[in-house]
Amino acid sequence: MAAEVLRMIPTKETVELDDRQLVEQIRQGDDGAFETLIRRKTSKVYGLCYRVIGNGEDAKDISQLVFLKLWENLEKYDATYAFDTWLYRMVTNVAIDFMRSKQSRDNAVNSNLRLVKTSVDPEQTVTVARKEVESVFNAVSNVLSPKQKTIFVMSEMEDLRSSEIAKVLGCRESTVRNHLFNARKLMQTQLRKRFPEYARLWEESR
Amino acid sequence: MMTCHYFRTNLQPGNADAAMLEHLRHCDACLDFAMSVDPDLFFRSLGGEDLIPPGGIDAFVGDVMSQVRVHDAEASLAPRHNVSAWQRWAIAATVAAGVTGATLAYRYEHPAPRVTQTLLSVQASAKPRPTATATKSFVETYSSHDATIVEMPNDGSDTKVVMIFDDKLPADL
Repeated sequence: MAAEVLRMIPTKETVELDDRQLVEQIRQGDDGAFETLIRRKTSKVYGLCYRVIGNGEDAKDISQLVFLKLWENLEKYDATYAFDTWLYRMVTNVAIDFMRSKQSRDNAVNSNLRLVKTSVDPEQTVTVARKEVESVFNAVSNVLSPKQKTIFVMSEMEDLRSSEIAKVLGCRESTVRNHLFNARKLMQTQLRKRFPEYARLWEESR
Repeated sequence: MMTCHYFRTNLQPGNADAAMLEHLRHCDACLDFAMSVDPDLFFRSLGGEDLIPPGGIDAFVGDVMSQVRVHDAEASLAPRHNVSAWQRWAIAATVAAGVTGATLAYRYEHPAPRVTQTLLSVQASAKPRPTATATKSFVETYSSHDATIVEMPNDGSDTKVVMIFDDKLPADL
């Protein structure tokens, strides 16, 4: 009987604290709460970084930097706003900064890759495989600006609504929709140019 | 889990809800079909899955926590500036007021006479000095065998300009 009662009393492990409660505990000096928060958000943060940056190792470094910044700035978090919006804002800022500095370095390399890829026969039959979609995405998304790419990833892959993305980026919803429209257009153009075998499927369905 | 049949029957262009996307992202067989219905689903097939950083979550969390500890250690070693900006301004203003007050008090108690003398001497030296009007001897007549005398043409006035070139003339003339 006593064992039954004990089992019903919630322990620290069984109680699932929400993000705001965890932040409060971290502010009071609980390192364990911060560890819990990292575990909870790693997949989300790393996933967005990976989609935007397109490289696992860089995405890992950027994700770690995000959590370090999170630790430094936790005092500034206003609990009246959703924690995920604040976290996403931090991720996008760090990732966009990284992309901007990387883009200038990689311009020469990308132009060479473009030449190699256009040699594919457009008439060959294609079965779309998921892994290929990922490599195609990494190849053609280089034409997008860091902000466009971030918005595209958040909308198409993270399934965030335009209003949510606008909150994350601190801009208007119409701006987000505009970026998204331009990003899709650029991606289609690039797909036609560099991967005509996939673009053919696209054209046929239109 | 949605069946492929259900997915293919219900998929419409521009209308992929969360459950449809969930199926698309896990079923390679339906990807081709989805592309033919709505090409925008091409890149939407990505995402939706939980991505794990290289090395696993445990290693990742361990790395972050060790960086946090290093950061904290560095912060504790760094000199602490517990004084806020307005406190710094207040301290600076107090010091400045103290120095100015002490200087004024010292000057009041020890008036500097040299300053007055210097001022007087400066005033004295500032007075205009009388200028010398005649420093050279005046020659009314001159006769010499070796001299060359040039008389400048007169424009009708009483003044006569005469130039004398002679080696025997005194140097101060």
